[in-house]
Amino acid sequence: MTERNRPGISFNEALEEKLAQANWSRREFLGRVAAFGAAAALTQLLVACGGGAASPSAGPTTQATPQGTTTAEATATPAPTPVPTPEKELFVYNWDQYIGEETVQKFQDKYGIKVTYDNFADEAAQIGKINSDGKGGGYDIHYPASTWVASFVTDGRIMPIDHSLIPNLKNLSAAWQNPAYDPGNAHSVPNFWWTTGYAWDPRDVPGSPTSWNELWNPARKNQMSMLDDIRECFAVGAFLLGFSPNTKDLGELDQILQKLEVQKPLLRKYNASSQIDDMIDEVVQMAHCWSGDWVQMTYTKPRMKYVIPSEGSIKGNDVMVISSGAPHPIAAHLWIDFNLDGDISAENTNYIGYMGPNEAALPKIEDYIKGDKRLNPPQSVLDELIELEYLAPADLAQYTDRWNALRA
Amino acid sequence: MTSATAPAELDHATGQIHEAGAGRSAAAATSILVLPGVLWLAVFFLVPLGIMAVVSLGAVDQGGHVTLAHPGLGNYTHALDPEFLPALGRSIYYAITTTVLSLAIGYPVAYWISRYGGRRKILLLILVMLPFWTSYLIRTYAWMTILRDNGVINSLLLDVGLIDQPIPILNTDLSVILGMTYGFLPYAILPLFVSIDRLDFSLVQAARDLYATGRGAFLHVTLPLTMPGLVAAGLLTFIPALGDYVTPDVLGGAQTTTIANLIQVIFTTGRDWPYGSALGFLLMGVTIVGTLIALRSLRREVIGVSA
Repeated sequence: MTERNRPGISFNEALEEKLAQANWSRREFLGRVAAFGAAAALTQLLVACGGGAASPSAGPTTQATPQGTTTAEATATPAPTPVPTPEKELFVYNWDQYIGEETVQKFQDKYGIKVTYDNFADEAAQIGKINSDGKGGGYDIHYPASTWVASFVTDGRIMPIDHSLIPNLKNLSAAWQNPAYDPGNAHSVPNFWWTTGYAWDPRDVPGSPTSWNELWNPARKNQMSMLDDIRECFAVGAFLLGFSPNTKDLGELDQILQKLEVQKPLLRKYNASSQIDDMIDEVVQMAHCWSGDWVQMTYTKPRMKYVIPSEGSIKGNDVMVISSGAPHPIAAHLWIDFNLDGDISAENTNYIGYMGPNEAALPKIEDYIKGDKRLNPPQSVLDELIELEYLAPADLAQYTDRWNALRA
Repeated sequence: MTSATAPAELDHATGQIHEAGAGRSAAAATSILVLPGVLWLAVFFLVPLGIMAVVSLGAVDQGGHVTLAHPGLGNYTHALDPEFLPALGRSIYYAITTTVLSLAIGYPVAYWISRYGGRRKILLLILVMLPFWTSYLIRTYAWMTILRDNGVINSLLLDVGLIDQPIPILNTDLSVILGMTYGFLPYAILPLFVSIDRLDFSLVQAARDLYATGRGAFLHVTLPLTMPGLVAAGLLTFIPALGDYVTPDVLGGAQTTTIANLIQVIFTTGRDWPYGSALGFLLMGVTIVGTLIALRSLRREVIGVSA
């Protein structure tokens, strides 16, 4: 966090500037603090930077659970239209810096429902918390990647969405009304989507690279980074070798591993989160990253470029889901409906740089996001991109084993 | 005279002194005072450890849940896979280097505070502990500021004209060892200080009176008498250094993965607790073996001499 603590800027200013821009860093930061048990030290920092984010380890599990039975009855007879509910609270669990700046406050003002908005550091922390009691860990709403929906439904982690409580579902574009991962949006509502590619610094990298092979260029030894993400790295290898990024074929996985082993000695880092800072600070010239990372790089260094490589790449989206043990299910539906409002959705996108599936939001989304082919690719490009599919534990273990062999 | 300093380090020795002085009821009272600590360790250390031991024999089913349907040692044989050797070797290399550096830097500091600290001893010790007032994580991030390509060190070297291109320090073995040594140094200094401060310096004077050189007196009197502190400091540095994953993660790079980093991946992204537990227990085994070797050498060098 403090690496950009430049002369003339106080620690807090630097931190605040960073937190505003580099949500990935903050997630990572939170994660490490959670892992290290130093939440107390962090709280001060968060207060100092006005983020209002609670420590991810301070979930509302205890106070939330007892109310579960009484409010569950309320869902049985849902009101036909969203009206203020007897529920006075809502527990939301989301990525840090992954929502409009004023969205939470506006929701509170509109419905008089107090929102406890907690952040998680990474997907592992999120899934761990949600699975801790098998029904959401006391949170009403959380934001998993779409690939989790099927297993959450099977395991009873989330409840069906009552569409009559969410009139704004009509704002979803046609393509998102019936996604493959959750037909009819029965158990989830799409939130944001992204692409994977790489960013580069035109000062060091001539021309307009388009291939994933650029990340294997020995001339850039020690000046490139890959995402510290098993699936994303294996996907890059798969695209270069012409395999599916969802392959379960052990022979293909072995070939991908060999490919990645050639690349490893050339890399400065496998980046869990500092890909934004490392590009801004010119530690690396080229970084495997997500589209939103690049947007945030350009806030500081507008010259930075991003490409969705020609061999193919990944698209993904996350969703809003309601825990099966949600203490406040009606308020949770109101929350989803509120975030699907065209104005609110546009504010969310304009703040974090990720495009959502909301058609009503389009007119209010900033042109630099909406008009950028890399952030908002035309349908023909999107159709070519592939979604990472959920892997069963046995298949994931094949990936993890090879990843560990690579990293060791 | 060796026995006067050495066993005072050990808990049971202190216990014996109390017992001799105040009798049986005091021993009972002391036992009650120990109870909360024992309970705490039992509930929050032994129970989770036992759970991990059981989990390490299990497997993950298709739904991602831990199952003990077919318990076995498969995770352990899997964990012995030679693919982990480079990471394990790196962990041991970092831990040993960190320990040696911490002792080499810490011993003179502890010695100086003890001998020349005078009335300011407490203040100096507080200064040693001062870094603990800030989260280790935040301090490690601060090191990034110092070590980055455009960080303090490189900017300085560039400005002075010693280099014309930033030297990559961050994300290398050097940055990891630097960070770990920085982090674990206080753990080395404190036991060293206790041990040196307890040394009766009239013994050193006696050695000098008997025509020992300064070096001879140090090697034959000071060093053996402070060996318990050295071993304690070494263990307090080596054990956490071996299991450290934060420093290699924050200050390391693509080529500095440690075994603890891999265990972390298996637990989080890999979601395979049984396998991660087995690897964790293997690492614990390495640690215990290392500790036993250190304690044996302590016995031979110090306690063994006097017995």
